[in-house]
Amino acid sequence: MILTAMRSGGYAGAMKQLAILFSAASIAVCGGCVQVQAPDKPIEINLNVNIRQEVVYSLKQDANDLIKDNPELFPK
Amino acid sequence: MTKKTKIIAGIAAGALLLAGAGLAIAQSAGLVSAALADGSVGEQADGYLGIKGSASADLHAEVDAINIKRRAAYTQRAAQKGATVKEVAAAVGCETLATRVANGRAYLLPDGVWRVKGAAPISLPAYCAG
Repeated sequence: MILTAMRSGGYAGAMKQLAILFSAASIAVCGGCVQVQAPDKPIEINLNVNIRQEVVYSLKQDANDLIKDNPELFPK
Repeated sequence: MTKKTKIIAGIAAGALLLAGAGLAIAQSAGLVSAALADGSVGEQADGYLGIKGSASADLHAEVDAINIKRRAAYTQRAAQKGATVKEVAAAVGCETLATRVANGRAYLLPDGVWRVKGAAPISLPAYCAG
């Protein structure tokens, strides 16, 4: 009986059922998934470092010295 | 021509050449000074000189030459202080805008708009204040 069932395409039928079962299961699982899609635009990372206020202020004296030491670079 | 007159002529020619070179330097500095005075060149908040509108090739060359030398000076100072060139340049920009732009002269803020200094002090970028 078992043997005849196997022979009459029972194995392929079982595989088909299994495949249907799996696909159904995967649809059910992905229903609760967060789907992440790759963006179509390239990801840009801005590496421009903003001017740091405290650094600029700490350079105030250096800036003054630099101007005084190089008068030819700072025509009036 | 005697040997003595030849030497004198040589010295005279050398002196003339030196005077010419001196004149050329004075002239180029004068070019930028004149452009500053008429507002076609001005100080920028980024620490460099800028040209407002179009300028002659000579003026462009002179402004570029000054800016290249400025950048070299900023780079040196930045290395000494462990800061970036941009930060040193910005600090110099703060100082030039605060103290070196005379009334009636042009200046450029980070918004990219050229303005003319009036009686009121220039409203400096926020990072200039301590």
